[in-house]
Amino acid sequence: MSTMSLEPMPGRTDEMIVNMGPQHPATHGVLRVVLGLEGERITRAVPHIGYLHRNHEKIEEARTYPMVIAYTDRMDYVSGTQNELPFVLAVEDMLGIEVPDRAKKIRTMFFELYRLASHLVWMGTAMLDLGAISPFLYTFWDREIILGIVEKTAGARMLPNYYTFGGVRRDVHPDFFKDVAAFLDHMERRMVDYEHLVLESPVVHARTKGVGVLSRERAIARGVSGPVLRASGVAYDVRKAFPYDAYPDVEFEIPTSPDGDTYARFWVRFQEMYQSIRILRQLVEITPKTGPHKGKAPARIKPPAGERYRAVENSRGELGVLVVSDGSDKPYRVKHRGAAFSNLQIVPDLFVGAKFSDAIAILASLDPVFGEIDR
Amino acid sequence: MSQIPIPEDQHFRPRLIGYDPARSRPWLERTVYSAYVFVFWAIVVGTYAGVPALFEALGWDVGWGFVLMRAVQVVLLFLLSAVIALLLILVLRKYLGKVQERYGPMHYGPAGGIQTIFDALKLLAKEDFVPAAADVLTFRLAPAITFVASFAMFAVIPFATGWVLADTNVALIYLIAVSTLSAYGVLLGGVSSGNKWALIGALRAGAQMVSYEIPMALVFLTVAVWTGSLSLGGIVDAQMGLWNVIPLALPFVLYVIASLAELKHIPFDFPEAESELIAGYNVEYSGMSFAFFFLAEFVELFLLPALIVILFFGGWHGLLFGLEPGSLAAGALESLYFTLKTAVWVWIFLWIRATLPRYRDDQLMEFAWKAMIPLALFGLVLAAYLRLIWR
Repeated sequence: MSTMSLEPMPGRTDEMIVNMGPQHPATHGVLRVVLGLEGERITRAVPHIGYLHRNHEKIEEARTYPMVIAYTDRMDYVSGTQNELPFVLAVEDMLGIEVPDRAKKIRTMFFELYRLASHLVWMGTAMLDLGAISPFLYTFWDREIILGIVEKTAGARMLPNYYTFGGVRRDVHPDFFKDVAAFLDHMERRMVDYEHLVLESPVVHARTKGVGVLSRERAIARGVSGPVLRASGVAYDVRKAFPYDAYPDVEFEIPTSPDGDTYARFWVRFQEMYQSIRILRQLVEITPKTGPHKGKAPARIKPPAGERYRAVENSRGELGVLVVSDGSDKPYRVKHRGAAFSNLQIVPDLFVGAKFSDAIAILASLDPVFGEIDR
Repeated sequence: MSQIPIPEDQHFRPRLIGYDPARSRPWLERTVYSAYVFVFWAIVVGTYAGVPALFEALGWDVGWGFVLMRAVQVVLLFLLSAVIALLLILVLRKYLGKVQERYGPMHYGPAGGIQTIFDALKLLAKEDFVPAAADVLTFRLAPAITFVASFAMFAVIPFATGWVLADTNVALIYLIAVSTLSAYGVLLGGVSSGNKWALIGALRAGAQMVSYEIPMALVFLTVAVWTGSLSLGGIVDAQMGLWNVIPLALPFVLYVIASLAELKHIPFDFPEAESELIAGYNVEYSGMSFAFFFLAEFVELFLLPALIVILFFGGWHGLLFGLEPGSLAAGALESLYFTLKTAVWVWIFLWIRATLPRYRDDQLMEFAWKAMIPLALFGLVLAAYLRLIWR
């Protein structure tokens, strides 16, 4: 195979082979898709990944357990602490560390704040891909508030390195609950505007309804998860199926749509944002304002030999990690199961037969983040 | 891992978050940008009243002197089109900033008022690069075709009573011919770039052109049938009692949609579609070649709203406060009305651009062929029938 990996078909001159990416503005980073185009219609699509490969899993084998947490942050860089949780949960399981109730609730609050931040980034960039420039700026202001709240407590904005074995690294800032409540009020007002701009826009309907339909069977067969899977009518959510942290204590629903098209994926993400606001409202009420933020964890983290898989539902789907320990203070093997990576597997299925403009909308609805896909 | 207690004031360093409209000094902005409308207006008055008056005083208004006068006027119109482009780029940037909760240009000149001078200087100073795969002659010619075609539309645009370079009786047909030519520049530029994205952009431009030009021509025909004139001055005069927008509401809506398509403006910006085709037909252009595409786009962003005003909103009509039509003062006032009406329509186009996403290219074609052409034909028949029974 040549570097193009897509040879012109012999005897056919009506097919044009174009290279979409890795510097294409709508590929959300560094995806490269080699497309066979027949006019505007896509006949073949071969995605290439790896342009952002940073050797995460191998580096993590050479670091002690607390050091690995900081590396996991760098995977899905738009959803911060969500990446830390599966690794932290797995190691806590192996060591049998007890997590105080308040620490669990604080973790869940950060988890849902980052879900909102991630979905806001998705909304802005998806609309940018569809040609609307303004929502991008609006959503980034709202995300800025979330990052400000996180920064007040954790000290960093995008890669906070905040969770630790047994809880969180330091107690929340005294303003935290007040800030979150004020942000939720603001967010509820903004969601009305976003509904008008995105979900109710006739142009968005024209571009997304019936485009890139992913059937329920195909979605399950390809191993997709998260909003993409739920938009195909499968009500699978790790938060309900295998509850972790404070999710058993709060009420929320899993929005699903039977359509499986690009609009359904847009719609499901919107409903998830409402559910996140609902979860955060409850947690602001029920979280004790004072108390322990961290349980007792050994000074040197040395899990007994064995292995443990834990998964969480991050903004893109099931983010899992398999930690293999040989009893030393460094993991023998860390294998990440990335949701965006699995979701990207359906790109050739959905692209072929679609129009070129549809391909952009489909890719936007999958919400890939290449930090996590390439790792 | 014991926790280090951190004093609260060091815990969080507050930064400036959020958009404060007061920081952009709104009154200064309003003053500066209103002043620009008057600069534009002053050039119009100079071109259409000052230059003829000067030549008449010198006694050069016949024979070769008349040709010289027209030449001076054309040069002034070229200056005007450059002013329009610089101004509209600035207004676009500033207005998008307002819509998007940010400041836009602020630092060069009062309220960012001379930012585009620097934009233009940057484009002038850039290397004019020709890719190796390009067809050099066509590649060089394409921006010129596009700009000249847009600029040539100025010849028949009346700014006030008699303020027009060529008050020809085939102005509408001329406009159809010339505006189609500007799409050729886009088509040739994209095809000759030797770039696949540019090629797709050019093909989209061609497909788009054959879709919107037909309803647009039908709307022109409807206006001609209703007003009984193909000359733009005649069309404006015929709207003395009633602006065309009321009897011709349906063709008016179709014309606005077709104008958006002709402008390659969101929601119909398929030939450039920066998130799909990167920059489409002009992806390989740089420096002044690119600037001429840009200039043409912004001149059209003025001319198409101007045509909306001429065809449907009574052109320069407005309160004259007893001034005699045809006099210099009346002409100045009329051209001011025309400028302000056009400015409102430019603002509406920018508003659309700031708000909407993009349709898919085949959706425009489907809409144009299946909805706009039948509706335009219906509007034409309706206008003819109304004219028979009404006038």
